Amino acid sequence: MTQRLRETARRLLQEGKVQVVIGYGPSKPGAAAPPVLITRPEDADKLEWNGRCFANLAVYLTRKEVKALGKAAVVVKGCDEKALVVLEKESQIDRAALSVIGMVCEGVGTPRAAKCASCQVRVPRFADEVIGEAAQPAAAAPGPNGLDRLMAKSPAERWAFWKTEFARCVKCYACRQVCPLCYCERCIADKNRPVVIDTSATPKGNFAWHITRAFHLAARCIGCGECTRACPAGIPLGLLNQALAQATEEDFGYRPGMDPQAEPVFGSWSPADKEDFIR
Amino acid sequence: MSAAIPVAALRELIAGWIGQGKLVAAPVQVGDRLLYQALASAQDAVFDARRRPANSIKEFFFPRHEPIFRYRIEGKEIALAEVAPQEREQIVIASKPCDAAALPILDHVFNWDFEDSFYTARRARTTVVSLACQAHDDACFCTSLGSGPEDESGSDAMLHDLGDGQFEVRAITEKGGALFPDRAGKSGDTPGPSCRMAGSPPNEQFDPARVARYLAANFESPPWKDLTLACLGCGVCAYTCPTCHCFDIVDEGNAAGGARVKNWDSCQFPLFTLHASGHNPRAVQPQRQRQRLFHKFLIYPRKFGTVLCTGCGNCERNCPVGLGVLKVLQAIDDEAKRLDEKEPLQA
Repeated sequence: MTQRLRETARRLLQEGKVQVVIGYGPSKPGAAAPPVLITRPEDADKLEWNGRCFANLAVYLTRKEVKALGKAAVVVKGCDEKALVVLEKESQIDRAALSVIGMVCEGVGTPRAAKCASCQVRVPRFADEVIGEAAQPAAAAPGPNGLDRLMAKSPAERWAFWKTEFARCVKCYACRQVCPLCYCERCIADKNRPVVIDTSATPKGNFAWHITRAFHLAARCIGCGECTRACPAGIPLGLLNQALAQATEEDFGYRPGMDPQAEPVFGSWSPADKEDFIR
Repeated sequence: MSAAIPVAALRELIAGWIGQGKLVAAPVQVGDRLLYQALASAQDAVFDARRRPANSIKEFFFPRHEPIFRYRIEGKEIALAEVAPQEREQIVIASKPCDAAALPILDHVFNWDFEDSFYTARRARTTVVSLACQAHDDACFCTSLGSGPEDESGSDAMLHDLGDGQFEVRAITEKGGALFPDRAGKSGDTPGPSCRMAGSPPNEQFDPARVARYLAANFESPPWKDLTLACLGCGVCAYTCPTCHCFDIVDEGNAAGGARVKNWDSCQFPLFTLHASGHNPRAVQPQRQRQRLFHKFLIYPRKFGTVLCTGCGNCERNCPVGLGVLKVLQAIDDEAKRLDEKEPLQA
């Protein structure tokens, strides 16, 4: 697969179809494969594909340093690709100008990341080129996740859980920076005239930040889990997003990034909506 | 004299210190991470000479959030209230030598043109007991900076793991020895504890002097962009770094009053240099990465005679995209070597 990936990247750069290929590079033993941005055909051999390709590279598509390089090709797993669907719906990418190299994925990490156990998108669905063949069938339904265990607790226990978890947050904003859907030019957490969210890494400031982050991703988060992976304090941030994703699915039958035809919950209106106020 | 101390006895000592009202911090297992935390119980301390916590001990000297004074607004009057520097005694135990070594480096800047009394009070009231290191990973590079797994810099005492749950302790300062009455040996005692490194210490992977020479001559050069374009601009490297010490000062409160506080800040955030006019002199991420390395390996050494880095490798280990000081400096060192061979740079 790595060989075919390199050939594809080289060809796209040689033909001038793209000016940059965003992929994974060689990693040190046991470490996550670091993202690389390849701009010369002769550098295509730096690309790698293996079970440590965790990062969701869609995050680079909205960054101004990367946009400045020209047209891009991006290497995605099936799960990452969902972010492209949302980004296109939100008019953040021009899908026609983008080349998508989809990698068939049997899961990442040793042991496998939790999200991989019930993966329904091992084969990317909308890529311009798909590399690899699926060895195992896609899961029929999303499997259990840590959210079930958390929601089985009482509200008081959940409050205590998050208080302990957020106490470790140092406000490095890795959760925001790795998120392919946190693309705001200026985040509400960075608004300082006046300050909207306390910048202090205190219980108040941390709750304000994490609740805001989760709500801004409601009905948008595609569950790639990068926020949890990136957190240096080991806070399972993805659980907050999963809770909102579950509510979105239950109330609106919508799963972000799954169906390119489906209208986003916040970008559409239907007389069948449950709440009266909107009619 | 020095005797082997079983880990149970270390825990008894810790329980005693906590009982005396001291804040005792040590590595603690939290989920899949090892993190320095204030101990609720002596049992939580992890004495593992082969693992590095994901954060650093700087938090106990330079907290992520610290009020420096409080204010109350009553009508047209504003009443200020001093916040006293911390009085509480602290002990950091089982710290990595690469964390402790950051303290003498930080002392320079916190006592430079202005003495930060909050930092110096904590520093004076804290005793640091390190645990000599016995393993390294691919992100470690202490030896490239003249340090090493048994570096005593910044430590008041050092534990050496003898195996089988036994430790030898060596006093480095009087304060460190006082924590282990009749049980501490002295720094440099012979025969030394057999260093049970799993494998050898990390190789020297770049030459900091050559790197500094290159930086001084190559502010605008293409490698910066290539090496750092993948940086996503979070603060993980800075916030888990034992030596990064930038902070922001903000007022937090409401119409009735509040506090002026010091909060950690990072040169990796666009907001760090954003002017009120909207202009940002460091407009893109590679410029911010360059700043971080310049500060650590050129500006700080010029000012204070020491690099602002201990080689702990936390930046790379914690970085969501696997960047970090080591990778970039190795590439820069290679480039500097290549240029040196062509035409030696003047120091």
